[in-house]
Amino acid sequence: MSEAPKTKAEATTAKNANSAAADAPAIIVHSDEELSDKLVQMREAQKKFATYTQEQVDKIFYAAALAANAQRIPLAKMAVEETGMGIMEDKVIKNHYAAEFVYNKYKDTQTCGVLEQDLAGGMTKVAEPIGVVAAVIPTTNPTSTAIFKALLCLKTRNAMMISPHPRAKESTTTAARIVLEAAVAAGAPEGIIGWIENPSLVATQTLMAEADIILATGGPGMVTAAYSSGTPALGVGPGNNPAIIDDSADIVNSVNSIMHSKTFDNGMICATEQNVIVLDGVYDAVKAEFEKRGAFFLKGDDIDKVGNTVIVNGGVNAKMVGQPAPKIAQAAGVKVPAWTKVLIGETESVEVSNPWAHEKLTTILGMYRAKDFDDALAKATKLVADGGYGHTSSLFIDTRESEKMQAHRDAMKTCRILINTPAAQGGIGDIYNFQLAPSLTLGCGSWGGNSFAGNLDVHQLLNVKSVAERRENMLWFRTPEKVYFKKGCMPVALRELGEVYGCKRAFIVTDSFLYKNGNTQPIERALDEMGIVHSSFWNVQPDPTIQSAREGVQQIRNFEPDVIIAMGGGSAMDAGKIMWTMYEHPEEKFDDMAVDFMDIRKRVYRFKKMGDKCKFVAIPTSSGTGSEVTPFAIITDADTGIKWPITDYELMPTMAIVDTDNMMTQPKGLTSASGIDVLTHAMEAYVSIMASDYTDGIALRAAKLVFDYLPTAYDEPTNVEARDHMANASCLAGMAFSNAFLGVNHSMAHKLGAYHHIPHGWANAVILTRVARYNAAERPTKMGTFSQYQYPHAKARYAEMGRFCGFTGKDDDEVFENFMAGIEKLKEHIGVKKTIADYGVDEKYFLETLDEMSENAFNDQRTGANPRYPLIDEIKEIYKDAFYDRPASSYEA
Amino acid sequence: MDLPKSKKVIRERNNKVVYDCGDTVVKVFNGTKPAADIFNEVLNLARAEQAGIDVPELVEASKYEGSWAIATKKVVGKTMREIGDEDASKRGELTGRFVDLQLDIHKHTNPLIVHQKDKYTRMINAAGEILDENARYDLLMRLDGMPNKHEICHGDFVPSNVIVREDGTCCVCDWTHTTQGDGVADCAASYLHFKMRGADEFAENYVNTYCDKAGIARERVNLWLPIIAAAELSRGRAVEKDFLLAHVDVTDID
Repeated sequence: MSEAPKTKAEATTAKNANSAAADAPAIIVHSDEELSDKLVQMREAQKKFATYTQEQVDKIFYAAALAANAQRIPLAKMAVEETGMGIMEDKVIKNHYAAEFVYNKYKDTQTCGVLEQDLAGGMTKVAEPIGVVAAVIPTTNPTSTAIFKALLCLKTRNAMMISPHPRAKESTTTAARIVLEAAVAAGAPEGIIGWIENPSLVATQTLMAEADIILATGGPGMVTAAYSSGTPALGVGPGNNPAIIDDSADIVNSVNSIMHSKTFDNGMICATEQNVIVLDGVYDAVKAEFEKRGAFFLKGDDIDKVGNTVIVNGGVNAKMVGQPAPKIAQAAGVKVPAWTKVLIGETESVEVSNPWAHEKLTTILGMYRAKDFDDALAKATKLVADGGYGHTSSLFIDTRESEKMQAHRDAMKTCRILINTPAAQGGIGDIYNFQLAPSLTLGCGSWGGNSFAGNLDVHQLLNVKSVAERRENMLWFRTPEKVYFKKGCMPVALRELGEVYGCKRAFIVTDSFLYKNGNTQPIERALDEMGIVHSSFWNVQPDPTIQSAREGVQQIRNFEPDVIIAMGGGSAMDAGKIMWTMYEHPEEKFDDMAVDFMDIRKRVYRFKKMGDKCKFVAIPTSSGTGSEVTPFAIITDADTGIKWPITDYELMPTMAIVDTDNMMTQPKGLTSASGIDVLTHAMEAYVSIMASDYTDGIALRAAKLVFDYLPTAYDEPTNVEARDHMANASCLAGMAFSNAFLGVNHSMAHKLGAYHHIPHGWANAVILTRVARYNAAERPTKMGTFSQYQYPHAKARYAEMGRFCGFTGKDDDEVFENFMAGIEKLKEHIGVKKTIADYGVDEKYFLETLDEMSENAFNDQRTGANPRYPLIDEIKEIYKDAFYDRPASSYEA
Repeated sequence: MDLPKSKKVIRERNNKVVYDCGDTVVKVFNGTKPAADIFNEVLNLARAEQAGIDVPELVEASKYEGSWAIATKKVVGKTMREIGDEDASKRGELTGRFVDLQLDIHKHTNPLIVHQKDKYTRMINAAGEILDENARYDLLMRLDGMPNKHEICHGDFVPSNVIVREDGTCCVCDWTHTTQGDGVADCAASYLHFKMRGADEFAENYVNTYCDKAGIARERVNLWLPIIAAAELSRGRAVEKDFLLAHVDVTDID
């Protein structure tokens, strides 16, 4: 008993729909010449559709799916009658699937307007339709593919112009008409779907060229043409699915799955198994099961007869596609029982010259015997290469055989690998696996010459706009776990090693002067009092070398300390940090650790965690480097002369002890050079593109302390107050630049040191005001790139620092000038020479090395945080200005 | 033009007679042959020569007794077909030379020669009475997706169109069907020609030698066969119809 129609759509039969052509809201192209004008009309409709809301679209999508669903039987009948291929009842399933499964999959999918929004991250993704979709629809699945593509287009607010295959044009356009009428009744603009009434090469080519995107399902020729059209295309390729039946497989399930798939619509779905490769051990049992289920095994010459009937010169005979097995046998002149569902040819060659090795798309199946699993894989690999690159392959196996499954998925160049699944129904998704999107357009990736690899879905028919709002990077402020300071604090602080950390073995790293001078004795006494055994290495040289660090680390490894205490200037502390890394992670290489970065968080190399074996305590004896609180160390390879600047917060000491008692013996030169280095650190950190409120405060204070106390510390080396403040200034500036980093002043100073051996602090000082003036330009050639750094404003920053240090003026320009004059005065006071030449640098050698030095300064890690992004020529000019004492330039671009 | 009394008939076909006139060879077409066809052949010959291919020198194209005729300088030698017919033992080596010569022609280009795809599209469309709309659509789609190349393709490259001189050099005649495009299509045309005349063994030897020397898979030739067969159908030769249809009825299935 048939049910009464429940909806208006169900009441309209397919034929009625077709005869209502005159009233249809479709755009129908009657001749090649009309096409371009009709596409203009369609664009108008699509423009209107593009303004629809998700709610409107979903209502249309629902109505269209329902209408297609209701007409699945009449449409299936039409398709079989018109094309003479396939099985009506199976086409009903395809139509039902295209309507119901596709609707179900995307009913709640957002395809209009805002798809997602991340307010914190400042990202909004907005969906827009693409425009006019050219849909080329095949003969094998005309109605279901038309429904599928029409629904995807409606859901995405696209218009669709169909180029049907002439062999299936009535059923294709009827399916489209049903979907369109329901869509328009639900509010879609008229003319949102249309078709070419008399498909021709010219019309298809024109459509492909003029559409905004092509959905090409069809033969390889047409798909190639789509990709060559110049319009973006989503075209799919042919398959040649080899199904392996492993000897671990469930034979009954395997054989019946293949029979179920192979007979579905007479084998016309492109994912269908074309060949079965059976392991020797189960071959006979598989064969028996096939026979039991309606397969007929061809014998002798009949195998060639059938093969050559279906495949002619390497192509599929059009008359044999989607035909029942007895009809194929009859065409080949072979007698088979009327009940035959599938013809099987047992065959050996996997070469393309063997017709059985091809894609056949009908009810014949090649069967191969494999001596083992590797042989089966080799055969399947070749069959995929014979014409199924990228499409689908199948494996029937006990899924506990994970090694075999992995070998199979590694070997198959197919975008779908189906396990224990009927391929026809399994490949299209959502029937035997619910993670595979339901789709009648199966991409074959680049292997199959396609632009996509998965099952086509709505997202490929959307233009997604990413609205990216400017956001600022998360910044940080990192310091050692403990920073102890004040005159006489060292013995007190060291007690923590025993009392808090429970250290048992301490290793002291220092230079020979400090060691022999007895500077480490207070440390040793403190350790002795706590019963911490200790050993020392005192062969650290200025500009410490890998060779000396290796010597030290050998001692460390023998001693196995749980704390390393580095005492000295920058060299001893840097050497200590390097020995610490070598001791904790002997496997790491310096050329990896020294990899340059644009953003330390995104650096390619990831530093290993430190501190598991051993703590690290840094005790400075000069007021300059700030190394006791920085994540930096520089080490030189004495053999090659290469300097490795190592940066990572893992290098941060566990504890810094800033005790003025250790600073009192600094000679005047060191006081001057390291003191002006502190000012450079503070200034560069303050104008850095990474400067933050957290670093600004300490940078300002450090700079002020330098102005207030460096002259006294220089003039009166034993002045405790001046030494105390300078020690703090050094440590504060160290914390500032540990987090805000430095700039091109340091980049250039490093190279003056490397090429011309000017002590580091003075190398900074000799160019300091010139670089500040260069950075202060309001119209720089290029500014630094960092989200926080909005516009060139270094001048205002320098002026702010100047004011804090006590310089005044009526505006930023005047304060800046007074600040620069103050720096020059300070430099003069502490004996910094005026020019590079004054440091005894030979002019000829200077000019010879200038290009290389300038390029290396540009490439220095410190350059990245500079507020002005320097050009190499500009660096060169600053060097020359500072060499020849040229008057200050404005350095404006 | 005038032909000497001493002229000898070399070959007689439905639409033409070829004479040996001493210094020249003259093709006299029947009266209904359109001038456009004559001058197309002459132009092809001239363009092949322009491209640097060894062809007979053109002497004259004019009317003889009311019909169009083309005169070329006689090339002294034997055709490859004659050599093969005289001495079967030479056929193996001849096949190799034949393929080498064809591949050499494919290395030549001349942008003015008619495009292969245009010509085959025209021919397939002209086969409308024999091929239905579906078959033509499939074939035209297949043709559209074939490689776009610019190799000179003779179009009727068979051993009787290759004259081997005493010194061993070869001269290629009959440039009626010339196009520029994919050389593999030219191979497919030669192959079909041999198959159509029942020379199955030679056809297979030839196509295998071609694929070997060109370094291509046999499939590349097969892809062209339905297209060439369909184009040939447009000539309306009744005897070849069934043979050609069997090659056409292959679909580019989806």
